[in-house]
Amino acid sequence: MSSDVLLSVKDISILSEDRQCNIVDTISFDVMEGSIHSIIGPNGAGKSTLGYAIMGVYHPCSGKIFFKGKDITDLSITERAKRGITLAWQTPARFDGLSVYDYIGVGVKDKNLIEQRVREALEIVNLDPDIYIKRKVDANLSGGERKRIELASVIAMRPKLVILDEAEAGMDLIVLESFMDIFNKIKELGMTILLITHREDIGMVSDNSTLIWDGKVLANGHFRDIMVLYCQKAGLKKICNRTLFNQFDECIDKIIEEETRENKI
Amino acid sequence: MSERSDSSEILNSLEKYNLDISDYLPSHSGPKLVLNFNKITTVSEVEGIILKGREIENGIIADIVIKEGTVLEDPIHLCFGVNKETGLQEIFPRIIAEDNSSVTLQAHCSFPNAKNLTHKMFGHIYVGKNCKFVYNETHYHGEQNGATVAPVSHVYVGENSYFENNFFLTQGTIGRMKIQIDIYAFKDSIINSNVKAFGKNSLDSIRVRDAVFLEGENARSIIKMKAAAIGGGEVMMFGITEGNAANTTGHVDCTEIVKDRGSRCRAIPLIRATDESCHITHEASLGKVDSAQLNALMARGLDEDEATDLIIKNML
Ligand SMILES: Nc1ncnc2c1ncn2[C@@H]1O[C@H](COP(=O)(O)OP(=O)(O)OP(=O)(O)O)[C@@H](O)[C@H]1O
Ligand SMILES: [Mg+2]
Repeated sequence: MSSDVLLSVKDISILSEDRQCNIVDTISFDVMEGSIHSIIGPNGAGKSTLGYAIMGVYHPCSGKIFFKGKDITDLSITERAKRGITLAWQTPARFDGLSVYDYIGVGVKDKNLIEQRVREALEIVNLDPDIYIKRKVDANLSGGERKRIELASVIAMRPKLVILDEAEAGMDLIVLESFMDIFNKIKELGMTILLITHREDIGMVSDNSTLIWDGKVLANGHFRDIMVLYCQKAGLKKICNRTLFNQFDECIDKIIEEETRENKI
Repeated sequence: MSERSDSSEILNSLEKYNLDISDYLPSHSGPKLVLNFNKITTVSEVEGIILKGREIENGIIADIVIKEGTVLEDPIHLCFGVNKETGLQEIFPRIIAEDNSSVTLQAHCSFPNAKNLTHKMFGHIYVGKNCKFVYNETHYHGEQNGATVAPVSHVYVGENSYFENNFFLTQGTIGRMKIQIDIYAFKDSIINSNVKAFGKNSLDSIRVRDAVFLEGENARSIIKMKAAAIGGGEVMMFGITEGNAANTTGHVDCTEIVKDRGSRCRAIPLIRATDESCHITHEASLGKVDSAQLNALMARGLDEDEATDLIIKNML
């Protein structure tokens, strides 16, 4: 991991469609180049929405996003992808007639490398290339197969930053076991990972972590510490590190303070 | 020009669309009937299949009988080609598949030079009991939008039979096309009808009426219509399913993508149930490409146009 910041999210907020509330509320964090940075938080916390905002699917109503020091807040999805950002979708789209080969090959810039990259990527995600390249990315793929193909398609593309939105969800145990290998491969290939996950064992690979709750950042830090906070906040009976209680209390105090302030306004 | 070289020109036009023409060549042993305009150039039968063509004023009558119990691995090929620029071709196929038979009929209609050419077809297909019958029809109308094509088919599918219809109009220009397919499904039969059409410019106008009448109990059907209209092209899909007997199930699915100014897509699903145990449904989506699909491809670096083209190309 270098000491350079690859992605910097500064105070971004995203309004809900009915414009009644912020799904993402003044969120800030940095992702270091070459690192695995995890985003954790309960269902509906705003993790996917945040991922989409970085990809350019949603545009924040305030705040800025910097990638390699450049402001990309106003760029389109395509322009961000061309600069080296991509996303593996939590629920990947299905396509009538599009082959696995063509789907995985879409992001490979050098057309001479497509076959090699597609096969290699399928092998990394433990799918037999000879069987899968001819199949279609349609409704006939199982949920787990579709997720693995999604992962393969980002690996073949070789972006600088890959946002993995619960890439592991729906995968079988055998694949989960080898997930660490997959992450290592992705890292070896020079990619930085923004990892959205619910799984403690998967999150353990991350260098840094951000806990999101109700659209806000509750804490940034090491995954283990963040997990302790998360469990506490969620009321889960986990053995917690004593020293973290204070930190946690501080967070809660901050939220209560903010909420009372909002109510006053 | 001799008849033989005329039909080889038609066959060559098929090759242009990446189609293996070897099945149509006289040296190939499979069953086939090849037309050059309104002349029959090749007829070859195999055991279990009767193929008879009779020339009439503006076309031919083609009689095809698949005898009881005949199971063919190779498809029966029909090639209705016209390499003239203008003219009228009328084809009257009468096809009977006797009980317990299993065949695929592959029809190609090729009009590579069409400028003001009309092709009409009035087809009847009778499928007996316990059969499997697959009918594939693919059209190539050249590059000049000069064809007017109007096929009408009536299909009767007997007890416990499977009938599949694949009608594809996706390569080259279309011109004016009006298709009507009526399928009557009897007891325990299964119907699977797929229509794909691609209008590429303002001279392309496609109208498809694909209807299934579920007349026998437990008959099931699915109609899938997929189309795209770009560059001012026009597509209208009329998907009909009627459940007129007990426990019939039918579904009409229509997906149409519209791109560019002046392009138009329309879908009219019409479903009807006259028995309380029927289950007939429909689903249609028209307009832009699904945004989740677009976003997925754009996140790999394609722009919106490239992504849309890739989605259309693969869907059709
Ligand atoms: N287009 C939308 N319109 C309205 N509300 C939305 C929209 N998209 C997301 N939301 C809401 O915003 C909140 C955050 O959703 P998001 O999908 O980002 O959650 P998440 O943290 O990824 O959850 P999960 O762990 O379940 O994937 C949820 O309450 C969701 O219902
Ligand atoms: Mg999510």
